[in-house]
Amino acid sequence: MAQPFPYTYYTCDCFDSNNPLASKRGPQPLEEDERDFDPHNPRSNYTLYPLEQLLYCEDCQQIRCPRCVAEETINWYCPSCLFEVPSSVVKSDGNRCTRNCFNCPVCTSPMTTNSLDQHGDGPPYILACPYCKWSTVEIGIEVEKGTGISAQLAKIANGGHPIPSLKERDKERERKKELESRRREKDAMSPTQDSPTTDTERDSTPSHDDLFYNLSSFYKSQIDAQTPSNPFSSAEINFSSPSAYSRIMSMYSSSSRKNKRSKPAPARDAASILEGLSIHDPSNDAQAIERIKREGWSTTLQPSQKLAQPDPTIRFSDELRPLATLLCTKRSKRCRSCRHILSKPENKITSTRYKIKLLALNHIPRISMRALPSQYTQSSSAPSATATPFAYDALKPGIPTHFLLHISNPLFDPIRVTLATPSTTPGKVQSRVTILCPQFEVGANTDVWDDALASSLSPIKHSAQDAGQIEAGKIWDRGRNWTSVVVEVVPGFLDGVPGLASSIGPGAAPPTSTNDGRKRSGTGALRDVGEDDGDLNYDEDVLEIPVFVRLEFEADVNAEERGLGDSRGSKGEREKREEAFWVVVGLGRIVEI
Amino acid sequence: MSSRPAARRPAPKGEYIETDSGNKVSRRSAITGTANIMLGGRTVIMADVVLRGDLHSTRPVPSSSGKDVTPTSISIGRCTVISTGSVIKPPCKISRGQTHYYPIKISDNVFVGPNCTISAISISSHVHIGANVVIQPFAIIKENVKILPNTVIPANMIIASGSVVGGQPARVVGEVGEGWGVSGGGSGGGLGVGGGGEEKWVEGGDLRELVRSIK
Ligand SMILES: [Zn+2]
Ligand SMILES: [Zn+2]
Ligand SMILES: [Zn+2]
Ligand SMILES: [Zn+2]
Repeated sequence: MAQPFPYTYYTCDCFDSNNPLASKRGPQPLEEDERDFDPHNPRSNYTLYPLEQLLYCEDCQQIRCPRCVAEETINWYCPSCLFEVPSSVVKSDGNRCTRNCFNCPVCTSPMTTNSLDQHGDGPPYILACPYCKWSTVEIGIEVEKGTGISAQLAKIANGGHPIPSLKERDKERERKKELESRRREKDAMSPTQDSPTTDTERDSTPSHDDLFYNLSSFYKSQIDAQTPSNPFSSAEINFSSPSAYSRIMSMYSSSSRKNKRSKPAPARDAASILEGLSIHDPSNDAQAIERIKREGWSTTLQPSQKLAQPDPTIRFSDELRPLATLLCTKRSKRCRSCRHILSKPENKITSTRYKIKLLALNHIPRISMRALPSQYTQSSSAPSATATPFAYDALKPGIPTHFLLHISNPLFDPIRVTLATPSTTPGKVQSRVTILCPQFEVGANTDVWDDALASSLSPIKHSAQDAGQIEAGKIWDRGRNWTSVVVEVVPGFLDGVPGLASSIGPGAAPPTSTNDGRKRSGTGALRDVGEDDGDLNYDEDVLEIPVFVRLEFEADVNAEERGLGDSRGSKGEREKREEAFWVVVGLGRIVEI
Repeated sequence: MSSRPAARRPAPKGEYIETDSGNKVSRRSAITGTANIMLGGRTVIMADVVLRGDLHSTRPVPSSSGKDVTPTSISIGRCTVISTGSVIKPPCKISRGQTHYYPIKISDNVFVGPNCTISAISISSHVHIGANVVIQPFAIIKENVKILPNTVIPANMIIASGSVVGGQPARVVGEVGEGWGVSGGGSGGGLGVGGGGEEKWVEGGDLRELVRSIK
């Protein structure tokens, strides 16, 4: 679970830019039930972010999420050796580390360079995985030096055979072509003899790399053949030159064989192995099947392992190659609509500081929900200190439970907050939610000093005697720049739904989150799609409450230049501002009774 | 839920011994080789935590005065929290039949969740480690990293700053947001809920408030 309960996710407007979001519809999102934000909707996976992942464009006065920013790469670096890779090298060599960093092709763990020497410090060296213990010994590769591994590996094929360099490949290809043409001539001279099909070149199926280089050189020659000798290209026709004149004249003459010969053959595609053509050979499949029969499944590869390989067509574990580590980037981010920079890290790889960083959490109130401490809810209970922590992962259905919704204001102006929530949560498990005080004010964020000085400001003292005094329409507590209100939640029943939670109870495996910012794994979302048989889907027992938040406040007109001071005489000028967005509070997991 | 500190579990009175520099060390922790352990101040060692300070480097430490210098085997920075049941054990290498231990360095404002096993060589500041995480020997964790619960970080792995890692073996699954560790302008009221005594801290942020709340 990426985020422990209770968590709060914020939505960004951009997920629904075709239907302008609630902000333009006024403060009553309840009027249109179908517009309520449904956190269990598969699409919601892509719209909810924890507050710390969101930026804020001060010009557009809007939240900016990873989907509505444009990114610009500042530099590339290897996450393993932390060396910066110049963009020219990235362009020529690809986005992988060209030093000594490799990942295990079996388990993805970073590999270490180990010496096979008895004393542990001398050649030969191998790459070994400290996690699954796979090593290049299994593919018959040892290297002579402990550094510059990638350059050395580029020259060694599995089994220790040398890989020819590009030049050697070209030479070899020319040699074979010559052989072939000579053979053809021979065949032409003595057509009665069957040409021997069992020649050595054709027996060994060429490797993926061979085919690639053959094809690329073939295409290169084709392009070369096409471009320079086009007789009609306007660049070549120089009317003042007699040769061009004669050429044009020859076009009109009927017997222009010479000209025809100089015309290039029309571009064609590869027609032989030496030109990069690979024809599917069923006998290869038969061989592979035989091999699987003989050696078992364990020698085959998982799809993810294959796809990570430079040659994703391989089938067996002895064809694996260590994977050069993928590079990472440092990126700056711009607002997509106004192009202003929202975040720009310092260039140095080792630096973790930012030159510019416009965080949403400096503009958007932090909203959190916690269980109301039990001494306030149970009037009879002794005020013992042994209050057990609230079990957010075991919410009891049907039992009204009180929570505190806490809003803290990062702005230097007081805000007026209006909260709205659907009375029953969307989804199959319907929980009832009531915000007891949906409209209230939150104080301005001032210096921390003021907080200390104005400690007398906090007016509402709650004691155990107050228990049961939770009143509708009244806030629970407030401080300098925060206010809390009580929310009553009646978790819904899981068994109101057929095929109840037996398969997805709290004991079920937690979703494997792939991204900190995403709340559920793709599989959970996928299963939601098109499967509407009334059964509970993955994570539908999670009680998530959508809350629509609307803020109103007055701010200085040029508040975005606050850092520069309000010296331009506009000090008194204030403008009304409004901000509205959905948040989703993941309160916990409902259990069966 | 898993990365909540277990501070609120019922504890006998005086669960923690507080040192002069404000370190809080649980009476129920298991610490060996105290002389080889350095705590930076305002750092919390919870119950059932094992610190293997006795596994220190046996190589002679050069000293100018000619006296024996006590080697440090575990050094932990300021405002770092080691939650219940975690084990911190210096990494070791075996060469020529001898076992050599290397000192482990954990920096400031690091949160180590419950039941972790840590043999990293260094963990930089503002790192948040979820529950049941295993960090194998000689791994290096840079600043501002989030390690999801149940992750296994293979030996020697280096985790670049700003990464979110998860899985077994660990791989980078994302980036922490720009707002990582920033509690925001609302830090006065913070995350905490008035009267609830709940956390006023954020993952990767300043853990001072968390340390203060642990009693
Ligand atoms: Zn967006
Ligand atoms: Zn590298
Ligand atoms: Zn491996
Ligand atoms: Zn903008």
